[in-house]
Amino acid sequence: MRRITRGGAVLRGAVSTALTISLMSASALAAPPVDLSKWSPEYVRSIAGTQDFDTAGDCAKVTPLDYKGRLTFWYQGVFEGDPDLLRQYYKDFFATFRKTYPNIQLEEQALTYNDLLDKFRTALLGNAAPMAVRLQILGGTEFASKGYLQPLKPEDVGYSTEDFWPGAMKAVTWDGVTYGIPTNNETMAFIWNADIFKRAGLDPNKPPATWDDVVKYSKQIHDKLGIAGYGLVARKNAGNTPYRFMPQLWAYGGGVFDEAAANPTYKDIELNSPQSKAALQASYDMYVRDKSVPVSALTNQQADNQPLFLAGQLGMMISHPSDYNVMLDLQKKATGTDKEKAQTVIDNMRYGLIPTGPDGKRAVVFGGSNIHILKPEYVEGGKVDEPAAKAIICMWTSPEWSLKMAYAGSNPGNLNGFKTKWMKERLDSIKFLDVTTSMLPYGIPFPALPQSPEIMNIIVPDMLQNALTGAMTVDQAADDAAKKVKDLMGGGL
Amino acid sequence: MTIVSGKAEARRPLQSGRSDVLRKMWEHRADYAYVLPAIAVMLVVIAYPIYYTIELSFFNTPPGLQLRDKIFVGFNNYTAILTSGVFWQVTFNTLIWTAASTFFSFVLGFAAALALHRDFIGRGVLRAILIIPWVISAVAASYIWKWIYHSDFGIIGAVLVELGWAERPPNFIDSVSTVLPSLIVVNIWREFPFAMIMMTAGLQTVPEQLLRAAKVDGANAWQRFWHVTFPHLRNVSTVTILLLAVANFNSFIIPWIMTGGGPSNASHIWITHIYELAFGRQRWGVAAAYSVLLFLILMTLGYFYVRALSSNERKEGNA
Repeated sequence: MRRITRGGAVLRGAVSTALTISLMSASALAAPPVDLSKWSPEYVRSIAGTQDFDTAGDCAKVTPLDYKGRLTFWYQGVFEGDPDLLRQYYKDFFATFRKTYPNIQLEEQALTYNDLLDKFRTALLGNAAPMAVRLQILGGTEFASKGYLQPLKPEDVGYSTEDFWPGAMKAVTWDGVTYGIPTNNETMAFIWNADIFKRAGLDPNKPPATWDDVVKYSKQIHDKLGIAGYGLVARKNAGNTPYRFMPQLWAYGGGVFDEAAANPTYKDIELNSPQSKAALQASYDMYVRDKSVPVSALTNQQADNQPLFLAGQLGMMISHPSDYNVMLDLQKKATGTDKEKAQTVIDNMRYGLIPTGPDGKRAVVFGGSNIHILKPEYVEGGKVDEPAAKAIICMWTSPEWSLKMAYAGSNPGNLNGFKTKWMKERLDSIKFLDVTTSMLPYGIPFPALPQSPEIMNIIVPDMLQNALTGAMTVDQAADDAAKKVKDLMGGGL
Repeated sequence: MTIVSGKAEARRPLQSGRSDVLRKMWEHRADYAYVLPAIAVMLVVIAYPIYYTIELSFFNTPPGLQLRDKIFVGFNNYTAILTSGVFWQVTFNTLIWTAASTFFSFVLGFAAALALHRDFIGRGVLRAILIIPWVISAVAASYIWKWIYHSDFGIIGAVLVELGWAERPPNFIDSVSTVLPSLIVVNIWREFPFAMIMMTAGLQTVPEQLLRAAKVDGANAWQRFWHVTFPHLRNVSTVTILLLAVANFNSFIIPWIMTGGGPSNASHIWITHIYELAFGRQRWGVAAAYSVLLFLILMTLGYFYVRALSSNERKEGNA
């Protein structure tokens, strides 16, 4: 007769309970994907809160909850431009993971967007990388193409590829193989201060419809009120710059390659096309001709624009829905009359769709992050604890946590996250979320090429700086950037 | 009679010299044992990286390949560097940065040291205050100065506009023509206390009796400085200038944090450019070639530094 210990009984009970719950609730494995063809704010509202998920139960099927192991993990964490709300969710995630998998020794390290790539590349050169990493969407193909990453698809952690945005899956695919899973995906929106619009003689409830309007509105705000109209960002080596310039470039019909096309081939370089030059000209007009944007745009990041906007010194900018929460956090820190001024700005903060180009084309960067597992030979100690890595990946990309970790600034990478009760709660508590979810269908991923980080973080900002400082004319700057991309793609020095 | 050939005659002092060296080394064997661990560590952390950097400088490292798949290109990286317009722009920036920072830091530091050499009430407090820029974190200082210079809301611009001396805040770090001088000012502000400390130490070695004798002989303040004080400070001045020059050639924090080398490469100096090439663009080969060139320049400066130190020691020995 077999003896059943108390611990064994508890474990069996827990497993059978988890199994029952997962069968009763609609399991993530069996859940039908979100119908992207019906995508609209109304559709998002209609599906929010319609399904329950048992994260621990689902992940137990991938890695048993009593699994004993060790995991080193780096991730792009929260930084100064993020709201406190997000900080709390990150803390909650790691606390929950440790509670769910008490026997996995987790050694996590948070890095900022701008530091992560540099540090990760350096660690890889010394075979000292972590076992798993969460990278910005731009980074996946670079490391996959070099052979650093293990093949990893949603099915490996209990989900289905259809549960994730097709555009996001492209960013983790190299040479037909999937090397990661999207954790979150977002598109930004256009933000303006209605009070500034009113005082400048503009309709406070109507954002600029086109990028040409942005140039006009920016000038009008500057000329009438003496403050900056549009929050141009052109700093080098900062993710904020391409996230704000590429929508402008695509709207005018330009691009680095043909990445805005339905089936991009990345063969022809378009940075010096007449359309791309028109987009660059618009930035030039605002910065040089009209002087209607912050002079500090060349050294600014979006985090520098936020206090300017809150101080009522900036009329328009492109950013996440989380900027509303950031404004609330910053306002709490203000004192005296500054606090009142900040409240006026918050009350007058409006979100709208990003403007279109001259032919009605609207575009936005399809941003986000992915999670990957490294090959053992590049990892500190030469070993990867795969079950432990899959456990954290299963949790982070679950409908529950992919939503919570993207609560204020992004959207769940796992589309089933839109069906959770937390999505419903989020729609009620996060202002302007509808606008950014409405922008999602206009999202264009960065070119899925290993050269993309250099193009987006260095060549594109260089092009902007060369034109805006007068170091080159608009034509020369665009031609110079196109040549740099050509050299880069040709493997030049 | 023993016949000694001319060759043997010539070899004898050589052999005697060799055995003399070996004997001296044996006598100092304990000293060598003491420094052996340090030498071993240096071989690992300095010699190997230098060797690897030199080797890497002969390879192309395209961003789509792992470093181990690097392609041998001979001297192509060096040719590419020397024929690139950016190299000459960055080199010009580096020379301006190094020369201006070194010169003004030294002059200001020397002036401060002379001023504080006299005994007056509050001298200690003033000296402590002047050292602050040197002791605070360069990272923190860079962020503070970035806001002081901010082209829209910097305090300098605000004061100038408030006083009616400017219509708009001046553009310090967002203009290709003003960014480098603006960063040099920050660097001087941070470095002059180092020169001040060095020169203060040097001033304390000037014999008081010589100065008094010169005064008795009717020398005025300038003559006492030029003919007595300054000659005594020549060696410490040389060492200070060389140390400042080496530090300035190697500068990274201030330009990287404040401007990232921009706008339009106008504030890129060698180290920031090498960093961007390596970590931002993964051109490890080109970055390594740049580093080798910089290494040669710094070694030359290092040689003069050691020579200055040796000359100091010789003079002290003679005295």
